[in-house]
Amino acid sequence: MSVTSGPASRRLYWPAQMQRNRGVRGLFVVVALFVALYAYLFPGLLTVGGVSKFAQSWFPLALVSMSQALLMLTGGISLSIGATVSLGAVIAATTMTGPLGVVGGLAVVMIAGLAIGAITGVIVVRLRLPAIVVTLAASFIIGGAALLILPRPGGAIPTWFSDLLAGNTPAALILLIVTALLWKVYLATPLGLSLYAAGENPVGAYRGGVPVDIARIAAYAISGLLAVGAGLFVAAQTGSGDPVIGTAFTLNSIAAAVLGGVGFLGGRGTMRGAIAGSLLLSVMINVMFFLGFPPVAQYVAQGLIIIGAVALPEITGRRGPR
Amino acid sequence: MPAPIIEARGVSKSFFGNPVLRDVSIALAPGRIHALLGENGAGKSTLINLLSGALVPDSGTIEIDGKPHASLTPAEARRAGVAVVQQELSLTSQLSIAENIGLGAYPRRLGLIDYGTLAERARAVCDMVGLDEDLARPVGDLPLGRRQMVEIAKALFRNPRVLILDEPTSSLSAHEVETLTALLDKLREAGTAILYISHRLNEVMRLCEYVTVLKDGVVTADQSLAGTDADGLVRLMVGRDPGDLFPPWTPTPETETIVSVAGFSSGPLSDIDLEIRRGEVLGIGGLVGQGQEDLLLGLYGALPASARSASFGGVSGVPSSVPKANALGLAYVPADRKREGLHLIHTIAWNMMLPQFGRARGLSLRNRSQERALARDLADHLGIKGDLTRQVQALSGGNQQKVALAKWMPSDPSILLLNDPTRGVDVETKREIYILLRRFASEGKAVVLSSSDTPELVHLCDRVAVMREGRIAAMLARDEISEEAIVASAMGAEAARAAA
Amino acid sequence: MSIAESETTRFPPRRIGSLLKNRAFLTFLIVVLVWIVAGFAKPGFGSFGHLRYLLELAAVIGLVAIGQTFVVISGGIDLSVGAIVTVSAVGVPLAADLGDPTGTVPVLIILAAATGIGFLNGLGVALLRVHPMIMTLAMATFLQGVLILVAGGSAVSTQNPLLHWFGNARPLGVPAAVYLWVVVSALTLLVLHATPFGARIFALGANPLASALSGVNTRRTTMAVYAIGGLSAGLAGVLLLGMNGQGYVGIGDPYLLASIAAVVLGGTSILGGSGTYAGTIPGAILLVTITALITVVNASPGWRSILFGSLILALLLFSGREARNR
Repeated sequence: MSVTSGPASRRLYWPAQMQRNRGVRGLFVVVALFVALYAYLFPGLLTVGGVSKFAQSWFPLALVSMSQALLMLTGGISLSIGATVSLGAVIAATTMTGPLGVVGGLAVVMIAGLAIGAITGVIVVRLRLPAIVVTLAASFIIGGAALLILPRPGGAIPTWFSDLLAGNTPAALILLIVTALLWKVYLATPLGLSLYAAGENPVGAYRGGVPVDIARIAAYAISGLLAVGAGLFVAAQTGSGDPVIGTAFTLNSIAAAVLGGVGFLGGRGTMRGAIAGSLLLSVMINVMFFLGFPPVAQYVAQGLIIIGAVALPEITGRRGPR
Repeated sequence: MPAPIIEARGVSKSFFGNPVLRDVSIALAPGRIHALLGENGAGKSTLINLLSGALVPDSGTIEIDGKPHASLTPAEARRAGVAVVQQELSLTSQLSIAENIGLGAYPRRLGLIDYGTLAERARAVCDMVGLDEDLARPVGDLPLGRRQMVEIAKALFRNPRVLILDEPTSSLSAHEVETLTALLDKLREAGTAILYISHRLNEVMRLCEYVTVLKDGVVTADQSLAGTDADGLVRLMVGRDPGDLFPPWTPTPETETIVSVAGFSSGPLSDIDLEIRRGEVLGIGGLVGQGQEDLLLGLYGALPASARSASFGGVSGVPSSVPKANALGLAYVPADRKREGLHLIHTIAWNMMLPQFGRARGLSLRNRSQERALARDLADHLGIKGDLTRQVQALSGGNQQKVALAKWMPSDPSILLLNDPTRGVDVETKREIYILLRRFASEGKAVVLSSSDTPELVHLCDRVAVMREGRIAAMLARDEISEEAIVASAMGAEAARAAA
Repeated sequence: MSIAESETTRFPPRRIGSLLKNRAFLTFLIVVLVWIVAGFAKPGFGSFGHLRYLLELAAVIGLVAIGQTFVVISGGIDLSVGAIVTVSAVGVPLAADLGDPTGTVPVLIILAAATGIGFLNGLGVALLRVHPMIMTLAMATFLQGVLILVAGGSAVSTQNPLLHWFGNARPLGVPAAVYLWVVVSALTLLVLHATPFGARIFALGANPLASALSGVNTRRTTMAVYAIGGLSAGLAGVLLLGMNGQGYVGIGDPYLLASIAAVVLGGTSILGGSGTYAGTIPGAILLVTITALITVVNASPGWRSILFGSLILALLLFSGREARNR
């Protein structure tokens, strides 16, 4: 990256990144252990094909977790991520085989995501309405729009495009890496880095010249983009659109972000943590499936692990009035 | 005198209908360190916020370089070169020192943050304030004093023409204060206009040439400091001789012990032996953050605490929860009343009833008329005027503190624990609180008063325990209490010996 | 410093005008207006039978929203109510009846279980200090697993006499469910506004730290609040089973969002510390009315959903502003 060229910046940029890693080191170890367990159970994972397949099952969750974590860093939250995923999926499934073609469809999906996010952001930030309620109402509007576009599962994604994204290729893994790198670039811009300040101490940041409102609205817009991206990928995976396919992603995105150490009050956590959290959740589901856990046990274990992961640091590091 | 860079002309500002500033004028000239003095709650922070554009005055104007601004914005103030070091830090704990220093004014290259330039310029300002930490360290890792220095470096990063410092030294070590003093002298010579707010009068005497004094939102003095001594400053601030503030009282003769703990520890505290007697006001002094709050909260059952032996009004053992402490007759008035003491969005009467709600049987029926009568009595008794169905946040700081005190009275506690109860309270209310505390003691109850205001300890307490690093460094008896003795014990044995 | 001021200075009598600033009353007013307008515009809407039907639907949302109101006022949120509704609806036929011909025993067992689930939520929030959103979300996931275990994914039906009566009987022409709702609402309002326990909930939501330091047992209050959340969702679940005659996985899902929407429309602050169930009642009725009207205009499911969301958003814009930094 161009930002890291000079010797002085090498002394600052990378060390600052390393120091920010400390909070998630424990999580990385846990994730590594789970991945190792998975690889041990399923040696096929360690081939190009195995990694590609796994990355495909992980990718949408990783995107929505980033989408959610981004908002949580600014002190917000979204309950409309699932609906936005669905909308992305149905737009993709109805436009790509039409006159717009794949490129046109891609553009429509991305514009829709950015617009939805930006509008939500403006309502939350400018009109000072609580994010949780606004996104709750938005989930109905966005979900309704998805139903309008495609009342029942259907539509189609061109086969070649499906194969390219979700076939026997490492496209998902590559896209995930690209997304993560783009996030790094965004964080290296003044607006991107302001996210943390806008989330943790909005008043102080505003006084210090940070464009708090713009940073938060931008976060909502990017969050919308990531969510429709996940929808697009899910549509490519199934080869068609489904207006309610995203529903489960709302709660899973919160779970992954929290597993990844992102706090609810803003300014706490990192994107790499959220991605690791989504990886942990994906691997957990895969491992339990592999071990032949009945779905019941999977749900139960998932619930327990999430609570445990959140409660443990609280129990060990407790202080403050009772 | 050179023309002022920034000037407030006749500004007024109220919150919730309470006037905080009335027709205040102040002018900051280049190359001068200007002191702004006043009691807590006199309106200093509001005035700073007006000068920096964070708040807009109800009337009056802010002039920058002679140009009036009716509604100055923070951006305009910044562009004009006004930088503020707030008392409440504005740092982001997850970002590195350098990223915090540059926040809001990052050098850019190709739209990205230019980390190379940022590192160089941040290093330069850190060297100025004597901050030698690794610039990549997250600010959340730093102790409070270092964070304060980062905050100052952040202000310098913008090459300010006007530098406003709101109590910059409150959490700095002696060495850091030295560095800061030298730095301010240098900035003054370079022509920066500096507004300096501090409660440490010796610092003000040494650094500043000019002073503006605020009292209850009005300018009571605006003059050169030449020829004024520390006592004169106090008179300007308080509006009366320091001695008048405290009510006369007679020490209660030796009486029985109501609380005794031995080997008490809680949080950073270790091995504390303490006796609290009926009829006394026991002062707790020391530098900020030496464990005073932990001691009070530990005794109050609000923090996990243990003791070799403990007796509270004849019951052995440390209370393990607040309700248990309340049952033993303890009550606690916190320092940060907005965060810890009051429910700002609820009414005055409701706040006064809260301890009753905590104690009563949960599903019994509330008696509204009894609640009203009680709230009225308390308000009458403490001189809280007006409608009791207003939200507590509509009250002034002093009256809020009265509510925080009043709510315990119906419980008739025998041991009252107070944590800096006069912080941000106007002089009149202070005096009323002092009278109340002494009367409380004279009724045979015990008062434990932790205070950062040393005169309070000197003039109000029967005994003073001075804390240092989580221990009681000295227990001063009535005839040993003096400002010098308290400060000497607070600074440590070595410093005390050096002073002697 | 003693002063004495008159009773009217201390507690000025409320003016009529202040009623118009009361969110609960405003929501009630909106419901009445909507009913009048819709009654004239759409024949059949204002008929007794239709309004009765609306109230019956609102009763279920209203019951779920009791717990949600308590939890939200205490500064939390309960995302597990939908799952608890489902568990209760599906669980009744599976609970032992101990030879009770009236069907009361299995209902009580299920209500106790629902209360227990809520209590576990409270335990996690109060003792383990898990964020309410995470705790209740994890609980919902957990219950989903339990459901599949107990119900195997298929629908269950019940002949429970008690529930059948509550779901279908209409003494004096009014559905039994509405009677139940009225009685429970009265109890709720009493607990919330006339007992020390209710005051503690408001204290907890406005400032948990100050509440703890004022001698409020914040842990116990938190646990009780979530237990009430479980109980009220359980009550709604068994009532729903009685009305439908059968229960299936997913039957409770719509009630999560509906309960939060009813609470917020009723003027309770999502940030905690202020609000009243008196607003949630018209909030619940408003929700079913909006849904009914949207059905009346004969729109597709997509438009219905969009209209519903937009109306909620519009109502929020109308009166739901929150102070941002508190």
